[in-house]
Amino acid sequence: MILNDEAIAKIKERVGLYPQSKSAILPALTIAYHQVGYLNDKVYKDIADIIKVPCVEIAEAATFYTMFPKEPVGKYLIQVCHNISCALLGADSLISYLEQKLEIKKGETTRDNLFTLVTVECLGSCATAPMMQINQDYYENLTREKVDKIIEELRAKA
Amino acid sequence: MADKQNPETGGQATVTLTIDGLTVTVPRGYTVLEAARSIGINIPTFCWHPKLKPVGACRICYVEIEKFPKLQVSCATVAMDGMVVHTNTDQVKNGRRAVLEFILLNHPLDCPTCDKGGECDLQNLTFAHGLDDSRFAFQKYRFVDDDMTTTFDDKRIGPEIILNRNRCILCYKCVRANKEAFGEYDLGAYERGNITEINAAPGRQVANPFSGNLVEICPVGALTNTDWRYKIRVWLTKTTPSICNFSSSGTNILFYKEDHKNKIYRVTSRRNDDIDDGWLADITRYSYQVITSDERLIKPLIKKEGKQVPATWEEALEVIKKRLNEIKDKKGGVCIGGLASPSLDNASLYSFAKFLRRTFNSNKLDYRQDYRMLPKDTANNYSILASQPFKIAGIDDSDVIVTFATDLLREHQNEYLRVRKAFNFKKARIFVANPYAVKTADVAELEMVYKVGTDEIFINAVCLAALEENLVACPDRADLKKKIKPSSLKDAAEQCGVAPETIKIMARALAEGKKVTFIAGELLTRCRDREIIASALCNLNRLFGLNRKGQIAVLARYANSMGAVKLGISPEPVPALKKELEKIWSGLPDTEAYNTDTMLVHMKKEEINGFIIMGANPVMLYPDREFVKESLEKLDFLVVCDLYETETTALADVVLPLAGWAEYAGDYINLEGCRQHAEQALKPRFEAYPGYEILEMIADKFEKKLFSSTEERESEIDRLLKVDTTLPWPDGFVEVKTAEIEIEKDYPLALFLCDDPHHCGHLTEKANSLVNFCGEAYIEMAEEQARAYNLNEGDSVRLESPIGKIIVPLKISEHLDNQVVLVPRNFTSHPVTSLLMRKRRIDWVRISKVAE
Amino acid sequence: MFYSPVITNAAEAVKNEKLHLFRFVEDSEQVKIGTYEAHGGYQAWKKALTSMQPAQIVEEVKKSGLRGRGGAGFPTGMKWSFIPKDSPKPRYLICNADESEPGTCKDRVLMERDPHAVIEGMAIAAYAIGCHRMFIYIRGEFNHSIIRLETAVKEAYAHKHLGKNIYGTGYDLDMVVHSGGGAYICGEETALLNSLEGERGMSRIRPPFPAIEGLYACPTIVNNVETLASVPHIINRGADWYRTLGTEKSSGTKIFSLSGHVKRPGNYEVELGFNLKKLIYDPAYGGGILGDKKIKGVIPGGSSTPFLKADMLDVNLDYESLAQAGSMLGSGAVIVFHEDTCIVWVILKLIHFYRHESCGKCTPCREGTGWLEQIIGRIEAGGGKPGDIELIEDVCGNILGRTICPLGDAAVMPIQSAIKHWRDEWQFHIDNKKCMVKTNFEFR
Ligand SMILES: Cc1cc2nc3c(=O)[nH]c(=O)nc-3n(C[C@H](O)[C@H](O)[C@H](O)COP(=O)(O)O)c2cc1C
Ligand code: SF4
Ligand code: FES
Repeated sequence: MILNDEAIAKIKERVGLYPQSKSAILPALTIAYHQVGYLNDKVYKDIADIIKVPCVEIAEAATFYTMFPKEPVGKYLIQVCHNISCALLGADSLISYLEQKLEIKKGETTRDNLFTLVTVECLGSCATAPMMQINQDYYENLTREKVDKIIEELRAKA
Repeated sequence: MADKQNPETGGQATVTLTIDGLTVTVPRGYTVLEAARSIGINIPTFCWHPKLKPVGACRICYVEIEKFPKLQVSCATVAMDGMVVHTNTDQVKNGRRAVLEFILLNHPLDCPTCDKGGECDLQNLTFAHGLDDSRFAFQKYRFVDDDMTTTFDDKRIGPEIILNRNRCILCYKCVRANKEAFGEYDLGAYERGNITEINAAPGRQVANPFSGNLVEICPVGALTNTDWRYKIRVWLTKTTPSICNFSSSGTNILFYKEDHKNKIYRVTSRRNDDIDDGWLADITRYSYQVITSDERLIKPLIKKEGKQVPATWEEALEVIKKRLNEIKDKKGGVCIGGLASPSLDNASLYSFAKFLRRTFNSNKLDYRQDYRMLPKDTANNYSILASQPFKIAGIDDSDVIVTFATDLLREHQNEYLRVRKAFNFKKARIFVANPYAVKTADVAELEMVYKVGTDEIFINAVCLAALEENLVACPDRADLKKKIKPSSLKDAAEQCGVAPETIKIMARALAEGKKVTFIAGELLTRCRDREIIASALCNLNRLFGLNRKGQIAVLARYANSMGAVKLGISPEPVPALKKELEKIWSGLPDTEAYNTDTMLVHMKKEEINGFIIMGANPVMLYPDREFVKESLEKLDFLVVCDLYETETTALADVVLPLAGWAEYAGDYINLEGCRQHAEQALKPRFEAYPGYEILEMIADKFEKKLFSSTEERESEIDRLLKVDTTLPWPDGFVEVKTAEIEIEKDYPLALFLCDDPHHCGHLTEKANSLVNFCGEAYIEMAEEQARAYNLNEGDSVRLESPIGKIIVPLKISEHLDNQVVLVPRNFTSHPVTSLLMRKRRIDWVRISKVAE
Repeated sequence: MFYSPVITNAAEAVKNEKLHLFRFVEDSEQVKIGTYEAHGGYQAWKKALTSMQPAQIVEEVKKSGLRGRGGAGFPTGMKWSFIPKDSPKPRYLICNADESEPGTCKDRVLMERDPHAVIEGMAIAAYAIGCHRMFIYIRGEFNHSIIRLETAVKEAYAHKHLGKNIYGTGYDLDMVVHSGGGAYICGEETALLNSLEGERGMSRIRPPFPAIEGLYACPTIVNNVETLASVPHIINRGADWYRTLGTEKSSGTKIFSLSGHVKRPGNYEVELGFNLKKLIYDPAYGGGILGDKKIKGVIPGGSSTPFLKADMLDVNLDYESLAQAGSMLGSGAVIVFHEDTCIVWVILKLIHFYRHESCGKCTPCREGTGWLEQIIGRIEAGGGKPGDIELIEDVCGNILGRTICPLGDAAVMPIQSAIKHWRDEWQFHIDNKKCMVKTNFEFR
């Protein structure tokens, strides 16, 4: 098992909340993602064993949803919204700025494995654009100054 | 799938609508598509399948319905009274053309190299709609296999399936059929939107027992089978309608053959909703290779100085004549017996019996090559049960279904799918009772695994539950308690190891069910104590009135098992049949009648000296291989007809090459008693002859023609088949005896013989495709049990019984439980019958790991 | 501190009784159950459960004229009344908090800042339809909302607003917070049902409608967060009061998410029928266009709704007026763009989104959105060809009304309106291989 006891316990608890255990697939994927940082066949197999659903069902569901990376990413997964409201307020230039700053192209991970930069669709933060999500947290109303500070702090924390 | 009588709509059973100006009345619940097709109006489809729930995904089946503002998909729109439907307006054509255009955007233009060419729905529709020009000016989206450098996607996703994702039009039929109809989870759809892909499940192969259907229903060339790929184009083949020779339902099939090469290239379904719903088990699909294999027997063989050498037919027939006559003259014709395979056609089986009975006055003949310790005559409760009428389609609308002492997936795959269908479409309540866990339980409300050897006690327990809970109104129910032991539910439940509460639920369902299907299978048929268990079932039937409100039956196992019964290929035909035979032949021999088991015993005692085997392989299949071998070796003269050299032909004095079922026309009686015809697809290969011709040739040598003409033979068969062979139920409750279960010290595990889901009997080992799914025996055991023995998947395991041992690899089963192990009996390399003791109810074994 | 720094007009709501949804959203204590109760919270739930029959509640909501705030604007009370009265199956209520329509960020404010209001509204709706286990489906990225709701649900159980035998009435109600996995389509109610069942989030054909066969094939109601959060106020103050808000046919208030080129983007609760221009220009709301540039156009109801041109902005924000103007109220996401915005660029952003979010089940949407993205991308990149506009229009026509769920329509309606309003600009782009205006937005 890749999943640790805590994740397993959490998933089992979820199963009890639904009339059909299959409903726990998506929450289980989220729990697994939070622990492992990404999902792959081994994780699907674990989940399948825990909630007793064929593994293919887990894989089919997991690959449908885009929130979970399917391969390892950096310690901080930076997801910049490039949809319309953010784009109107400079999301594209924010992306270029991050590319320059982190010296990677979007889709890539920094050599120190700290940051992975990707773009995503609307994150429901349109009135505080432009914005990005780093791991579970939102960073909104971004300016160059804020971005510099955020990256610096994360680097320091790492 | 339409509801004939829908109580929610006031019971009105039909609706009337207008389609393209024609008025049509159809059962309520029909879709517009089904209504249109019922009057011959064809609407194209991709994602629709008659046996799956509609999803309305591909959108090619648009129609215009008055009062609906938009185009509607006919496959998912239920027909309503007064609807006015148009299937061919400009708007409809427009909609269809648009869908085709969308589908073709990313579809490769590789029809010339695609094996679906000539039978591709997409190709046909594209021709029909004259889409010859593409407005799509971009690179097509391409899946490329990781390990391939070309843009050609060519991925083996199963032993017999190649996937080309680029050709896939995402109709999802394959995934839906796999999960919905077959209950299999080895194929899936991944990612989403226009990069969605179909593929095997993570780390798995698409190797389920129905996998070939996925290829057949794929509307394009995304899924192709390895047996057919690149071998021939469909328009160069001809089709011959036939019947599966490896299922007792007689699944309807089509052979695709090429006459000059005298070769079969593949098999597809010839859908028959009463029998198979259009689904084929892989065994059915690939078993034609049993015939096309080059290992077939080429010429007759005659044993000379202990060695079998090739001979001409004439030589072989002369030897047979001489040797059998010697026996007849010296010891009498009654010292000659025979065994025929229940997969042979009516004509061969009937000729076989007539030959032995008429030429030698012998009643020593049988068709049962793998059932131990058979009862001598037909006046028994097992025969009563086995003679009951049964309808496969009757499973569909049953509200309660019980499967007892059978693993349908291994024995009756067609019925397995029907049970799933009843669950999916009618929400039938399914109960599964067996001494080990089986896959049918996936759809079961309750799975009851009773202790080995307690089959009859479990049935008694169900009866007792009904009595104690007062669930049934059967007038003489009070009598029952005197006939069975133990006499309380509590004790019976404890003895069979199933909780009384569980048994009560099933008893209640049986009592409440409006239409019940109760099916039993091989574990009952092959069991030494079949008569005891059958008695318990007769009581169950009487108590719950099952035969009156549904059906209860033991399912026959082989393609023509029922034919063998109905044509009297057994020592004691049922009385009605005997009477008719007497009339036809003007008298029947009244010599002693022996069944397979007693024949073997008497061979050993040298009281049977001459023997004819046709298509059967008792050495491979009859319990206690050494015993069978020793018996056959004692014979003065043995003739064996078969397609291949087998363990049994090895003992023969004369071996004759037998034609396979595709090589002659023949009739078969399926487990419902339905007579079906298989046409001849090939000329017999090499020097093989059909069974009935071989028998006629031998009979000629004895100057006793079997039939003056084919017509005479057929009219005799017709007369016999008209006889009602259903035996009457016993008058009251019958006594259920207590069986003696031998326990063997130091042999703690119960061994059950089974068929691998990709094999049936001893011949399918010759079909390469089936061997690709499974080519070797294994022992299947529960994970927990394996752990207790410190065994892992794939380990070599020594399996020992008091009389023999074999070494097989271990397979850990997902659903088996602790008390039993399973071993398939289909593989010559692992003669598992050598472990079995002839007179036992349960075969006890022990296992140990083979050191590396 | 609130999690999201988004601007709201809570200050106005404190003064203006009518603006009930936002009254307490700037109060950092509101998330705590004690504060919520002190502000009159859970009174409506208690009143509904202890003194009203389910049918009465449905009637009251029907009378209030409340319409769905999730996008389709279907009358809420009427939807509830579709639940079969005599079905023996369990019934389910699902609060749709998938909020993924570009431009929309209103439900998040309610969940982050007034989560109990959502729970209370759900509880009342659940009781009205006879549901004993209700779900809130929150998009997975809204981690903060998820935590807020989970905390609030625990509190509500502790305070016995949820659980067994609520208020001694014998009524049991459980609530499950369920998080999604990043799929816009899962906001569509039938896809949401599949997703909640653990399937891929693909839409289902209708009929059967969810009210008859929804979650686990049982009768199910799906309502938006804002819709449900409005319910307690209707129960507390009555349908007649609610009808006094908004217009005759569009009663109540609505939260508008204002984004894009405005000085004060934010979430504003206003009465339905509020003037769009006022929302954009009034200093209390949008405060005008960035850099005081000229406005070019507006998407009034989220990215799926047709555009309004600059000369069409004097329109009232209610269901009827917007329909008359050729657009829709949708989810109330007003996206504003000024004169420097290239319309082809805007459409490319949107069609990329819809292509990415198409579930892949039905052919026109799956293939059509991909093709459109390629054509429009080519135009944007300067590779447009004569006939492209007509081709786009034709492809749009082959998607519109031909798909299983409305995602297909949502993808093409903005395109069709963008071509209608700014055809010359499309033509310019094709002819000159570049934008008519310079779209190069720098972030600050
Ligand atoms: C593609 C698509 C996405 C949708 N996304 C959402 C959403 O994120 N949130 C929402 O409440 N409704 C969404 N809807 C509308 C829902 O299908 C449904 O109509 C709504 O949740 C019903 O709630 P209401 O009646 O309270 O508006 C979406 C619809 C479509 C077609
Ligand atoms: S592989 Fe064939 S059957 Fe399966 S979805 Fe694709 S086109 Fe349909
Ligand atoms: S056949 Fe009707 S939508 Fe595919």
